[in-house]
Amino acid sequence: MRQFVLRRLGYSLLSLLLLSLTIFFFVRVTGDPAALLVEPGASDDDIAAIHQQFGLDKPLWIQYGLFMANLFRGDFGQSFYYQTPVFNLYLDRLPNSLLLAGVAMAFSLLVGIPTGILAAVRVGRFWDSAGKIFALLGLSLPSFFVGLVLILVFSVYLGWLPSSGAGGVLHILMPAFALGWYFAASHMRLTRSSMLEVLGAEYIKLARLKGLPQSLVIAKHAFKNALIPVLTLAGINLVLMINVAVVVETVFAWPGIGRLLYEGISFRDFPVVQGVVIMGGTMIVVVNLLVDIAYAVIDPRIRVET
Amino acid sequence: MTTTRRDVLALAASSIAAGMTRSAKAAAPSGQLTVGVHITLAPTWLDPAETAGIITPFMVLYALHDAVAKPMPQGNPAPSLAESWSAGEDGLSYEFVLRKDAKFHNGEPVTADDVKFSFDRYRGAAHVLLKERVVSIETPDPQRVIFKLKNPWPDFITFYTVASGAGWVVPRKYVEKVGEDGFKKAPIGAGPYKFVSFTPGIELVLEAFDQYWRKTPSVKRIVLRVIPDESTRLAALKNGEVDIAYSIRAELAEELRRTPGLTLRPTVGSAPYYLYFPEQWDPKSPWHDPRVRLATKYALDYNTINKALTLGYSHITGSIIPENFEFYDKLASPVYDPNKAKQLLADAGHAGGFDAGFYTCDVAYANLGEAAINYLGEVGIRAKLRPLERAAFFKGYADKKYKNIIQGSSGAFGNAATRLEEFVIKGGNYAYGSYPEIDELFPLQAVELDYSKRAAILAKMQRLLDERTMYVSIWQLAFISGVGPRVAESGFGLIKGYVYTAPYEEITLKSA
Repeated sequence: MRQFVLRRLGYSLLSLLLLSLTIFFFVRVTGDPAALLVEPGASDDDIAAIHQQFGLDKPLWIQYGLFMANLFRGDFGQSFYYQTPVFNLYLDRLPNSLLLAGVAMAFSLLVGIPTGILAAVRVGRFWDSAGKIFALLGLSLPSFFVGLVLILVFSVYLGWLPSSGAGGVLHILMPAFALGWYFAASHMRLTRSSMLEVLGAEYIKLARLKGLPQSLVIAKHAFKNALIPVLTLAGINLVLMINVAVVVETVFAWPGIGRLLYEGISFRDFPVVQGVVIMGGTMIVVVNLLVDIAYAVIDPRIRVET
Repeated sequence: MTTTRRDVLALAASSIAAGMTRSAKAAAPSGQLTVGVHITLAPTWLDPAETAGIITPFMVLYALHDAVAKPMPQGNPAPSLAESWSAGEDGLSYEFVLRKDAKFHNGEPVTADDVKFSFDRYRGAAHVLLKERVVSIETPDPQRVIFKLKNPWPDFITFYTVASGAGWVVPRKYVEKVGEDGFKKAPIGAGPYKFVSFTPGIELVLEAFDQYWRKTPSVKRIVLRVIPDESTRLAALKNGEVDIAYSIRAELAEELRRTPGLTLRPTVGSAPYYLYFPEQWDPKSPWHDPRVRLATKYALDYNTINKALTLGYSHITGSIIPENFEFYDKLASPVYDPNKAKQLLADAGHAGGFDAGFYTCDVAYANLGEAAINYLGEVGIRAKLRPLERAAFFKGYADKKYKNIIQGSSGAFGNAATRLEEFVIKGGNYAYGSYPEIDELFPLQAVELDYSKRAAILAKMQRLLDERTMYVSIWQLAFISGVGPRVAESGFGLIKGYVYTAPYEEITLKSA
């Protein structure tokens, strides 16, 4: 078990190292941030001064070395645009993103799982078709479009909900729906396929042969087993909701991490983009690591196989 | 030191302004005004020392800080913390007399020492130029500041008070006490509004400063809230969540205009848009023939484009110099005459038209490019649109990498001379070539201390520029914003050429 955990930990660290390399070099392909920090036609001296101020005048591998050295000390660097430590910016926005992701996730599970079960139980019938349409729309409609339609209906025409910003319960309803629908659709589809697989299992047939009521077979025997992959996916999705709800947060002017990432990209604010991506990546890697370890604890065969 | 005619005018303006303010002492500030801002607020905008040569930081500066002199409804520039100024007869010194009733938000008076400190500390746009030309600053008493120049520089006032943030004043003692970072976190200024809080990228909250020298603001609290999406900003305005929404364009502006209770407020800024032909000095290029450039001028249906994209609010202009700039010389606006354009092309040997290559522009204004290309195509000038991301576009433009047609613009502050220096004169940042007869006039105006003679030289340069069709000017862009039903005076358009709401102390709410 110890060897398994160490090996998994090694893979995780390697993943993070590759992620840091990738984002560090890719973000620099977007162009020179100094061009966005000076007025058009600024002198070469002004641009050189900005390069020096942000350490962009050093060779790339030295910049990367400094970035990693600071990262190990928990320092994500200073935002070029905000001139504030990136970690502080991240922590300022994190509560808003956690709140939005939490509500969106609750919505996606509360809608996605029951509709998935219903679709599986009524496979090939009306509820299955309705569920498929729900999933198709959720997965295919761009969230900015959903967001704008919601704003038009609930803010402009009905005047029930605030169009943007954060602050009260009403503020979160539309962004949570716009963000949660996509994930509700994916949870619905996974729940449906997982339920169909479980419902075809021998032990379910046995439960039915024993004369157990349909509701008990579904709720007690099928649902519990079908839920495991859905919750695993939900864990990963939650991390994505926290860190990359870029479009929804921008449309609704929600002050979260997704919007911070959008601002970072817009202003070529390398430390902000690197910081948000590394934090998001770390969360995903940690969740995966914990899931792997949990699986290994539950099922010893996994330790031997991997 | 003698007083010039301009100084007398400035002094008179200051007296009028001061008189107005005394009589306009208002009741205690009340209410809140929320502004939906289209761009991300930067912390650097809280500090005048870092003012870039663009208009946006002034959105914050006009609230938090005050300047020795600045663009105001009374003039551009108008006396502010200084109640008057005068230039030495030799053009080598400028003396400012500060008003005695101006205070910073911490209650300390604004002194000559603060003015000198702010200038020395300034590191924003044009700081190199200013510091190269200012030899010393003397502060003989707390109310007097004297700038000594290396050589006569007629544009000193323009650069110090309009074209940079160097004239905006911060409290020396406070900055030295809290340090540079501390100042950005909790800035203190001498403006009509005090700093309350700033959430980077989200919102800036300000509260009325009831000891502001000019007048006590009417609105107690002003919130600048960033709403990046244009549709959401309009929805927030319709829903009453914001009272002012900046930058609502095209179809959304039309919707804003149709919405009862909302008011559309177009303001024309200092950014003329134009077409430029970088190959006009290459004898092998079709653009070398002035008839081809003139054909381009006649090919565009300016009014139709204006109505479609900015609801007709942009100003069609014949010049690359903004109308509100000092020394602007009004030239005839271009007219749409496709037949004349075709005739000119035929006369130039392009009866069947020609392939004009790329039409390069800033992607944010590619809609103007699309319209222009369609009209050019109709007369036979076949161009392909190449929209580039803003920073990349300006970098390539300044690096002189483009060919064929450039759709350019500049919102930089200054006057006609500063604009010509950048875009027309040999060696200018955006000048791909130049005409000797225009170039030779430039140094003459730069040392001419007589205002009318200088104006005449600059007017001649602008007319020559037009005669050569070096540029084809399109419009001076209208910036369209929306105002909600609670607002009585929004402040839009009070300062000529300034597109945001200001001065903040003039804003009033109906319910207040």
